[in-house]
Amino acid sequence: MYSALQPVGKDAALSGLRVLDITGEMGMFCTRLLTDLGAEVLKIEKPGGDDAREIGPFVHDVPNPEMSLYFWFLNTGKKSLTLNIESNAGQEILHRLLETTDVLVETFLPGYMDSLSLGYASLSKHYPRLIMTSITPFGQTGPRRGYKSCNLVASALGGQMYVCGDSDTPPLKPYGEQSCFTASLFGAVGTLIALHYRHLSGRGQHIDISLQECVASTLEHVNVLYMYEGIISQRQGTLHWNGEFRLFPCKDGYILLSLFREWDTLVEWLDSEGMAADLKEIRWLNVQLRLQEIDHIIEVVERWTKRHTAAELVEQAQLMHLPWAEVASMEKLAGNPQLKERGFFVEVEHPELSSCFTYAGAPFKLSHTPWRISRRAPLIGEHNEEIYCGELGFSPHELAALRTKGVI
Amino acid sequence: MVNNQDALGDIRIVDFTWVLAGPYAARILADSGAEVIKIQSRVTMGAESPNNEGYFITWNRNKRGITLNLSKPEGRDIARRLIQVSDAVVENFTPRVMRNWGLDYSTLSRTRPGLIMLSMSGMGQTGVQQNYSAFGPTIQALSGITQLTTFPHHPPLGIGYSYADHIAGLAGALSLLAALEYRHRTGRGQHIDLSELEAMSGLMGIELLNLAVNHKIATPVGNHPLYHQAAPYGIYRCKGEDKWCAIAIFTEEEWEVLCHVMGNPRWTAEARFADLRSRVNNRDKLDELVEEWTTQHEALEVMERLQKYGIAAGVVQDASDLAHDPQLGARDFFTQMGHPARGSVTVDGSPMKFSRTPIRFHHSAPLLGQDNNYVYGKLLGMSQEEIKRYTEMGIFY
Repeated sequence: MYSALQPVGKDAALSGLRVLDITGEMGMFCTRLLTDLGAEVLKIEKPGGDDAREIGPFVHDVPNPEMSLYFWFLNTGKKSLTLNIESNAGQEILHRLLETTDVLVETFLPGYMDSLSLGYASLSKHYPRLIMTSITPFGQTGPRRGYKSCNLVASALGGQMYVCGDSDTPPLKPYGEQSCFTASLFGAVGTLIALHYRHLSGRGQHIDISLQECVASTLEHVNVLYMYEGIISQRQGTLHWNGEFRLFPCKDGYILLSLFREWDTLVEWLDSEGMAADLKEIRWLNVQLRLQEIDHIIEVVERWTKRHTAAELVEQAQLMHLPWAEVASMEKLAGNPQLKERGFFVEVEHPELSSCFTYAGAPFKLSHTPWRISRRAPLIGEHNEEIYCGELGFSPHELAALRTKGVI
Repeated sequence: MVNNQDALGDIRIVDFTWVLAGPYAARILADSGAEVIKIQSRVTMGAESPNNEGYFITWNRNKRGITLNLSKPEGRDIARRLIQVSDAVVENFTPRVMRNWGLDYSTLSRTRPGLIMLSMSGMGQTGVQQNYSAFGPTIQALSGITQLTTFPHHPPLGIGYSYADHIAGLAGALSLLAALEYRHRTGRGQHIDLSELEAMSGLMGIELLNLAVNHKIATPVGNHPLYHQAAPYGIYRCKGEDKWCAIAIFTEEEWEVLCHVMGNPRWTAEARFADLRSRVNNRDKLDELVEEWTTQHEALEVMERLQKYGIAAGVVQDASDLAHDPQLGARDFFTQMGHPARGSVTVDGSPMKFSRTPIRFHHSAPLLGQDNNYVYGKLLGMSQEEIKRYTEMGIFY
């Protein structure tokens, strides 16, 4: 329980916090974030292992529930318990765990937890201090609460896809499971807000998070332009919504340029290489004109960028405080000198494979309570004995019986 | 005084942030009742949009606002006095700025033990590139998401807005809340060094791991499934101009339902679509045939008919669709707020609904210097004469 300080990781921000994690893809990153901050996260997997273990990529591309890199990344530091929460015996065990739980995070469709008498209304009667965080496709209320979703559908309905891509391409989904990441970040933030309130009031609460709303909340200009100016933002390729940034091809790839910041500097630079064409003309000092005639400006600038490598341009630009960057590949990201110097990448040991692998590291550096990956993702039911026998007092014999009955 | 409706009602935050990432972090905390005091000055406003424009109003609602000229030593002294009576500081300048002003964590924490300070910057507070100029698009380019966000064999397209600023804002709010938790237990404050590049690169974790373990370099997938086996999967053109519906079919049962809803056209029985593997292998032809069906129907109709049978499907919504979305509407996702200069404004709510401490919209974004009297008079105990004098001196400016 939270009040009982535990010796392990006592200098972590969330030491002593116990989290029960019954999440699927939408919430696995939420509990991962809490784990990295020092919470003890007990991941409840169905007997045989979580469905997410079937999601690739896999080590050496060989499907294996213990070798999913997707699962590894999203579950480092967690403890794994197998438990069939649909069985009576499983629910009894879950209730015993809930007695020592501060936070429950779940991602079932609304109504499912209620059908098992595990909805917030009934849990809060038994555990008034419990914080329950539910991350669902459309939230717990509203006409579409029962609709199905996934990362793609959330990206579409949340308004993200419509503005990504070019005017002559279909809408485009940003790379990665971004809606799940965003919802998980909101989940973790909401959980800690509720935890703070629990200190003030002694009471837990339910946090209802909608995947669709998480996407719609993270669109920068889209809702602002519509609400204030009635503008429906469109797809416009690599040109940033406000025209300030755009990608340009160069000798060895692409770079991101700011087109209008420090216009004089840009023109002088082009001119010093005899590439400014007519851009020196005084009329181009007018920003409105530059926006209107942007295709011409793009043409001139592109002639110039194509003669350089990305590194040449970026190095010089950053000396002049221009926010330019190379459009990096994963290889470039892995070799980023700034990330390396700051120790962003961390090695995580996988004793079963007698290997260490490099993982992406901390999203922020806390000076006193550093973020950390305490260990690799758990094997299926790796902590059954520790928790069921060590803590709940089941004998090895009873544990075996539960296994036979398919409870764990 | 703790307002028991507000989860963070006992927390005061001094907000030195501008543009999006920092203001977004502070807005999340302000929405839950933290008293966020945004510091602005006519001297240094620079690239930030004026206080009565939609962009500013959106990202700074629920905050108080004061003017304070930090380029003058008196201004910096008053900032220190305000920090003395606050719990946390949030800033997102390039690292040299707060140091040059003597407003860095090591200086501030000497006189204000227990202080939490969140410093957000593009590249972090240390390292050779700490003073790099970086905005959301810069971070997205460096993180790899720009290169990967495009269609297969197509030049990079990227995300046309500052998504990374939202991610950094969320990570910033999370880190500050974690530090508050630690302070609650130990009384100790701390400094948080948030690099937007690191917050964003963490979301490329699966790709980085695939590179480390399998030496595989991620490539763009467009709207195809990234980690799952699924087909049909993607967005399909519907009736009308630029109308699309996303459809995601993962299982055999779902495939059968889709066939049924489409009226079981003959092609669905062909051997090349008989199982998931064959459908994945013949994805392009399959998509073409599914689109023959979707183009005959409105996107909304496609979604409703498929969702009725439990299929994940969703309209590709533009800003107007969002504003009229019945689900968002039923949950009051958009809400009206009064604004001193604009009258009533519509703002996006919050995707977090708290059962006990619902997010409240207690005041709109501040006009420049709107809360000078409250902050300087009430919180710092200055007399009206003092406030007048500092105003005339160009300190409250």
